[in-house]
Amino acid sequence: MPPSGETPAASRLSALTDAELVERCRAGDAEAWNELVERFSRYVYAVTARGFRLSEQDAEDVYQEVFARVYTHLDTLRDDSALRPWIAQLTRRLCIDSLAKSGREQPRDVENEDVRDRTAEIDEAMAVREALGTLPESCQEILDRFFAQDQSYRTISSELELPAGTIASRIARCLRKLREELET
Amino acid sequence: MDDERYLDSTLTTFLDGLAARERAPGGGSAAALTVAFAAGLVTMVARSSRDVWDEAPGVVAQALTLQDRASSLTDSDAEAWDEALGALRATADPKPNADRNGPSRNYKLEQKLERAAAIPLEIAEIGADTAYLAAQAAEHGDLAYRADAAAAAALAAGGARAAAHLVEVNLGIRSGDERLARARASERAATEAAESVLASIR
Repeated sequence: MPPSGETPAASRLSALTDAELVERCRAGDAEAWNELVERFSRYVYAVTARGFRLSEQDAEDVYQEVFARVYTHLDTLRDDSALRPWIAQLTRRLCIDSLAKSGREQPRDVENEDVRDRTAEIDEAMAVREALGTLPESCQEILDRFFAQDQSYRTISSELELPAGTIASRIARCLRKLREELET
Repeated sequence: MDDERYLDSTLTTFLDGLAARERAPGGGSAAALTVAFAAGLVTMVARSSRDVWDEAPGVVAQALTLQDRASSLTDSDAEAWDEALGALRATADPKPNADRNGPSRNYKLEQKLERAAAIPLEIAEIGADTAYLAAQAAEHGDLAYRADAAAAAALAAGGARAAAHLVEVNLGIRSGDERLARARASERAATEAAESVLASIR
């Protein structure tokens, strides 16, 4: 069964590489397009709202514009596996245009060190999230409970029915797998 | 201590604040910071034990997370106490027109007391986890840092014990309350971890 309400088709599509997804989008597969938007929507939103701190309205405009351009210019992407950096660059450029247009910043000041730091953090978080998705379900669960849900070892142990004294070691082993995944 | 966040203040300012006549920062903030100190020591031991302990990098990540959680509660606890005390004073207001028996006021008071109990409970649980990691660090880490790991376990257990006591004396807690049982269980787990480490190196 696919996890948490995902349809079988969506589950299959989420396993595709970026290049395979681009190929199916080019062939006019509507479900593949939905998967592309789903895969990158959180990233685009994070860069607009948290990286560049656009106003809600401007962030929404940039968000729409990014996916409109991806849709209309997908044929111009020369390396299908470079979808991610292409969307990242497009999002940054449109954020800079938006800030310059709104007059909040001079173009040369728009992508300052703070913005670069914040977008680098978002890039890193997205890379971790992606790598997390490749780990065994048991690892994803235990890491999510400890690092995202702030659960104690005792709670994790009781909810997952695991011996209490093994939780920290399990987390450490899962983190090692995550690191290996990030380094490949 | 004005409106400055404790975490942004110097240690001297925080200690002056603790010693001042004001109620906050008080025992909860001190317990949270003690657990954060303990987690910092565990991080140091694990970082220095990478050559001898396979799990050291994973322990560093966990200890840093516990340190971050505990330190953030330093401010939260003081805020929760302030709010609970304010609500208690308002309920006990002797002015004739004070709405001290209004259901809405009682509801708000219960909410504030609930939060004032939830934060020390969290500190106790983080203290238990930190003491457990400290015991692991003492057992598997570099022997040169064993005394620091033992110190971390003792500090974490002290923080957990203090926090469990604050849960117990909170006015929103009745005997048989599940939160009190959890706080006591965390205190016991932390104490056992610390005692096992200290006994092993005596």
